[in-house]
Amino acid sequence: MSADERKILAHRQHVNYFMRFLNVLPSSLSSHDTTRVTIAYFSVAGLDVLGSISSLPEDLRNRIINWLYRLQVFPDNETGDMSACGFQGSSTVNIDLNSDNKHYRCGHLAMTYTGLCILLTLGDDLSRLNRKAIIDGVRALQTEEGNFSATLSGCESDMRFVYCAACISYMLNDWSGFNIKRATDYIIKSIGYDFGIAQCPELESHGGTTFCALATLSLTNQLDQLTEKQIEGLKRWLILRQIDGFQGRPNKPVDTCYSFWVGASLKILDALQLSNYDLNKSYVFETQDCVAGGFSKWPDTCTDPMHTYLGLAGLSLIGQTGLLEIVPTLNITKRAHQHLKTLHEQWLHEVI
Amino acid sequence: MSDYGDSDANWIFYQDRPEWSDVTPVPENDGPTPVVVINHSERFVDVYNYFRAVLQKDEKSERALELTKDAVELNSANYTVWQYRRDLLKALGTDLRLELDYVETVIKLSPKNYQVWHHRRVLVEWLQDPSLELDLTGDALEQDPKNYHAWQHRQWVIKTFGLFDNEMDFVDSLISDDVRNNSAWNQRYFIMNNHHGWTDENVQKEVAYTLEKIRFVKNNESSWNYLRGVLLHDCKGMSGNNAVKSFCEELYNKDCRSPYLLAMLIDCCDEAVKNEEMNDLYNAERAIELCQALANKYDRMRCKYWNYLCNKFKNFKNNATNKTDTKN
Repeated sequence: MSADERKILAHRQHVNYFMRFLNVLPSSLSSHDTTRVTIAYFSVAGLDVLGSISSLPEDLRNRIINWLYRLQVFPDNETGDMSACGFQGSSTVNIDLNSDNKHYRCGHLAMTYTGLCILLTLGDDLSRLNRKAIIDGVRALQTEEGNFSATLSGCESDMRFVYCAACISYMLNDWSGFNIKRATDYIIKSIGYDFGIAQCPELESHGGTTFCALATLSLTNQLDQLTEKQIEGLKRWLILRQIDGFQGRPNKPVDTCYSFWVGASLKILDALQLSNYDLNKSYVFETQDCVAGGFSKWPDTCTDPMHTYLGLAGLSLIGQTGLLEIVPTLNITKRAHQHLKTLHEQWLHEVI
Repeated sequence: MSDYGDSDANWIFYQDRPEWSDVTPVPENDGPTPVVVINHSERFVDVYNYFRAVLQKDEKSERALELTKDAVELNSANYTVWQYRRDLLKALGTDLRLELDYVETVIKLSPKNYQVWHHRRVLVEWLQDPSLELDLTGDALEQDPKNYHAWQHRQWVIKTFGLFDNEMDFVDSLISDDVRNNSAWNQRYFIMNNHHGWTDENVQKEVAYTLEKIRFVKNNESSWNYLRGVLLHDCKGMSGNNAVKSFCEELYNKDCRSPYLLAMLIDCCDEAVKNEEMNDLYNAERAIELCQALANKYDRMRCKYWNYLCNKFKNFKNNATNKTDTKN
């Protein structure tokens, strides 16, 4: 690869890359069977960041929307119970169940969040959503500790799902399923002695969970709950994550995805401009596949949709030309966020 | 894992197994407009067709339990399969010790999978027996000393069942193996915080331990961060600990310019400034000098950050001067 190629965004290749993932995937991705919605999210959001959402044919756009709505779990027919509501990640368990075993078919916070991102990015009006049911589904998943489980059906609870629940509540403009006080307490308890934030209290600070925590505080307007010492400590911890690209934890290798997780965290704290854009950019470009499209976590390794999207999103944060601007908290483009704001306006009038 | 063997050559599809002939497979219904379609293997399709069938019937049987093993083998991230398996274990009264063995083999194959660790945790909760967990996580951490899942499980077990007794030895050996293992330093803090406690004696002991490690490898963020963590519990603050103060000054005078040392000195200055101390060693002037040294020489890639800090101290100094002027 020549020095010049390393600095040029292989725009067309990345568009094709995402288009391939929207279509058919090889059997080697079978382990992603229950999280296909996230792959669709990385692809659709990726096309949007590339400024190419309009290159999605109308027919494919509608197919994606219709496919997603089929994954929405509706309230129980008999009892009206909404605790299982939300989006499933695939149709693996998209089957009719009876009252004894219906708990197997339930929404998953990460799928609901990324599902909503896709709908917004595609310009859908969310009219086929049962918003109240989704919010009830969110409410059912907050734990005593203040964090959230992923699903009703036996899953771990941690910072990732606090973030997903916050995004869903923000997008549906309804915080009645999200106890902000309890979530904020959980986040503050998860701040480490090095001022980074972990998956749960006392665990090691981590770039990804720090993002989840800060984005949540921002979406819930709770950033002012952090002390100046905590904010400055966070800035230091985040800035020190930069080696050339960013690492997720001290003394770990850099990885393309942290150009977004850490970059967006810094952006939320209004401190991204204190990082080194040139080195960041050079690293991310080293992980670009100029021929087949896509980005990988490390140079010369396998590309995947997540690192491709997050690589692009990370580049967008530092103003890469040819990319649309990202809203760091929600991880969608400003364009998609604008559409959301229009919907919020409409919902306001609906109520009146 | 099943009676039908692992290799594809011996594999018999569920649809061809006589003992499953009473079950009608339920194909995945992805609707009329599927996207992001995974081109699963025939075996995957077959196993999951039968998984959906038993799930729909809510069949609680040994054969269903075996089927979940095949489903896990094909995708150990399927949380519904694991939940169904747990419900089966309960309904069938299966020996959970055997299940611990089984999930251990799956953890060894997929040590970074959330679902398998969650399954393990539920089993330990059911059995109220954490006796195998330190070895299990120890093995996982031998493979990858920074495996976040293994640390999370380990901390949960230690805290839930009060297994702190030998944990410091474990951490000591990990730090001896790799002084840059940030997870191990974090675990050290976890033990001090929950078990030994931050008495003044313990604070000084931890300071001495950490300084020794820094003397050995100076440019190590993990040990410097831990030192700051310990000093959060020193009643004299970061800049008031004499051992730390003389250690840092000695390093500085011996021309060590590790950014972590300089950052520590800056933070000591910051503390003194905020406490409005008149301090010969730690003050705004020195902080400005150190920030400039970092920005221009010792940590140039982060020059914007160090200049940002520098400006904070400059502003503080200007304000202080203005205040004095007003008073005069």
